[in-house]
Amino acid sequence: MRLCSLYHKIDTQSPVQALLGPVLHRAHDNLTKPTELLEDNPGKRILLLGNEAIARGVLEAGVRLVAVYPGTPSSEIGNNLTAIATRIPDFYFEFSTNEKVAMEVAGAAAVAGVRSMIACKGPGLNVAADPFLSLAYVGVRGGMVVVVADDPSMWSSQNENDSRYYALMANTPMLEPSDPVEAKSMLIEAFDISEKLELPVLYRTTTRVSHTRAPVELGPMRDRVSTVKFDKDPFRFVPIPSVAYKRHPWLLQQIEKARRISEETSLNYRIGEGELGIITSGVAFNYAIEAVSTLGLKAEILKLGMTHPLPERKISDFLQEHTKVVVVEELEPFLETQVRRVAQLNHIVVTILGKEQGYFPRTYEYTPRTVIEGLAKILNRNTPINWQQIDSKAEELSSLPSRPPLLCAGCPHRATYYAIRVATRGKAIYPSDIGCYTLSIAPPLETADILFDMGSSITTACGIARVTDQDVVATIGDSTFFASGLPGIVDAVYNRHPISVVVLDNRTTAMTGQQPHPGTGLTGMQEKVSPIDIVDVCKGLGVNYVRMVRPFDSMATLVSEIREMVVWVRENKQPAVLVSREPCALLAAIDRQQTGTPPHPYRVNSDLCNACKRCLHRLSCPAMYFDSETNKAVVDETLCNECGICAAVCPKGAINRED
Amino acid sequence: MRIVRNTVDVTNVALSGVGGQGVLTLAEVLAKAAMLDGHNVRVGEIHGMAQRGGHVLCTIRIGEHAKGPIIDPGTAHLVVGFEPIETLREIHLVAPNGCVIMSSHILLPVAVSMDQGTYPDHDAIMSATKRFTTNVIEFDAMELAEKAGSPNSLNMVMLGAIISTELVPVTKDSALQSLYDTVPEQFQQVNSAAFNLGFAQVGGMLRL
Repeated sequence: MRLCSLYHKIDTQSPVQALLGPVLHRAHDNLTKPTELLEDNPGKRILLLGNEAIARGVLEAGVRLVAVYPGTPSSEIGNNLTAIATRIPDFYFEFSTNEKVAMEVAGAAAVAGVRSMIACKGPGLNVAADPFLSLAYVGVRGGMVVVVADDPSMWSSQNENDSRYYALMANTPMLEPSDPVEAKSMLIEAFDISEKLELPVLYRTTTRVSHTRAPVELGPMRDRVSTVKFDKDPFRFVPIPSVAYKRHPWLLQQIEKARRISEETSLNYRIGEGELGIITSGVAFNYAIEAVSTLGLKAEILKLGMTHPLPERKISDFLQEHTKVVVVEELEPFLETQVRRVAQLNHIVVTILGKEQGYFPRTYEYTPRTVIEGLAKILNRNTPINWQQIDSKAEELSSLPSRPPLLCAGCPHRATYYAIRVATRGKAIYPSDIGCYTLSIAPPLETADILFDMGSSITTACGIARVTDQDVVATIGDSTFFASGLPGIVDAVYNRHPISVVVLDNRTTAMTGQQPHPGTGLTGMQEKVSPIDIVDVCKGLGVNYVRMVRPFDSMATLVSEIREMVVWVRENKQPAVLVSREPCALLAAIDRQQTGTPPHPYRVNSDLCNACKRCLHRLSCPAMYFDSETNKAVVDETLCNECGICAAVCPKGAINRED
Repeated sequence: MRIVRNTVDVTNVALSGVGGQGVLTLAEVLAKAAMLDGHNVRVGEIHGMAQRGGHVLCTIRIGEHAKGPIIDPGTAHLVVGFEPIETLREIHLVAPNGCVIMSSHILLPVAVSMDQGTYPDHDAIMSATKRFTTNVIEFDAMELAEKAGSPNSLNMVMLGAIISTELVPVTKDSALQSLYDTVPEQFQQVNSAAFNLGFAQVGGMLRL
């Protein structure tokens, strides 16, 4: 894999870690980029991903503390900051255990009086919603920004929830950058607004803001204070009912001040001229601009960068000056509803068009086409491109064999899931969790039956075990276990739920790009610390059956370990945990590359292969294929990650490792 | 402020391949090269699942008025496919007179190995492609990458091919400079050799 050559490794080998097995880390994608972010060269333009621009914005805004839990599409913010954290004076960065923890760590730092930030994906803010709402009540003394990256189209998420509603619910100001340039510049403004109002500011990006690259001009960096003194003010910062009672009116008063900022800020501006009005925000602004020019329309756009509270006077003036106003925004009709409200309150007679009449969809991310088609329909015009024709030609290609994402070649999860299926003959219920391993939903592994959110594998297993008499085998990754699995284990132990839990411990947060977690022995500040062993944690929480297995040691052992655990749970009517520990295949491949270990890929002996296809049908390894000319299975040596599971499942002993 | 026409001067390039083939790196090198030549640029990419061996699409838009990262169907000046059926998967993006560069080296999807789909034959792929544009450049980029010294340099073979078409406003010098700026030193020789092989390959085909 090409990028491997760029990955770096931090190998920590304390005696404890030696016991735990290898701990390798790649905390960012590209070694050159994070250091470029440190450049003190205002005016220089460099190509930055939206998330990299936010990381740079942290330096330009003088942020003292950043806490994140990784989640696509927000992950590169943390990946870049951890890579440079030790080189920034008076700066602290952490990969928190989960988003709620991150919100509380950062929130307290802002209460103490420094600038702080948290970053997470949309569902992550759901996890952190509880402290977020309280933070709005008590407010902050240093600026605080809550970066939330939503994922329209669900490229990497379990839903496409529109996090903008949290600004309404919590009563916090909200900014929505539309591209990487704004991702940096508006972040700095967000901190200023936060300090003016003493409120955390919600900073909402989407996949196409966070994961777009554009030239971004560097600005001057701002120093940070080393420490501040925590001035006690418990009757503000401890929202017991009598305090909260007083803070709610304060909050509403602050949001009115915020509305005045929203009226005056240049973040909310008009562009273009014409009878047709368009109100838009976020990445959809770009598509609106492109649509107007593609269709050659005369239109005026009201571009909203601050979308809560909305500049109601600006909107009301805009509505009064246009007879027809189209609202263009991805996902829910957040702006649209507010715009209709403003029109009603101000008795403005204007046609407002958007999702409510079906001109624009509420699902999936927008493209220029979405906006062009919406506007063409509203204006009763043809689109410049005959997309129906292209669509029907493309429709004929729908029979192409699919190429969905898969567990990597050499992924230890493949071995464990194969063993789980064999041991339970595919008949158990398999609650799954959030991570690469959810890909086991696909044939032939088919070991994902129910999933809600981070940590739900264990708790859904509890619910299923209580009301069925089927065996239940839950699988959860190591990072997810620490993030959200512990309360589930406690529930299972205390309430004696008969569940089998397999922890897929691949020594990293794999799906989001190999971030460390409490089991790895590395912090966000690149410090080596004692890792927390999941086996010890489970024993400490009172699990009476805890075992550890190395999935590549022996397939027979792996299968019997799972079988024994399931039998034990059936007999003892309480939870059991098996930790299946093997580093992520990507880490193993990097390790081989960096230590200069020559490759020893597996090979199919074509004399012995009888074309039964068991290896192909049971494992779906991307490094294997069937050669229809020779009528034999083949291992692609350039892709093989040397796990040897194919050799273990071959009934003919035809797959061997070359010496 | 007026809204200027922004679609006429923007060059749209779509890269389609399989996770692990270096699609995102190629996009970054090409975009940085465009910046070296003084152009505005946008790159659209998807992370997270991209490393997991699945289909990857990456878009590059070059030109003063490029704003968003997305390329609509029928608007790509150039579609670059790292693999035949991955080319076909995004062929709807190509403009009617747009160009397609396609590597003929096949990576069989797991679905095919599991007998859950058949890989179309070469004639079917070419005739399907040509329903969208007749402007198709096909060669085995994997063979050239291996000749350059590593299958991992496939993406730089494709970069050489892209520059050679002269459809993208990026000079050969800037492309090579960007390659050197991005690729670690120990891999530069192989990657620049790959670039030159791709460049020569397409140059030779276009001259015929």
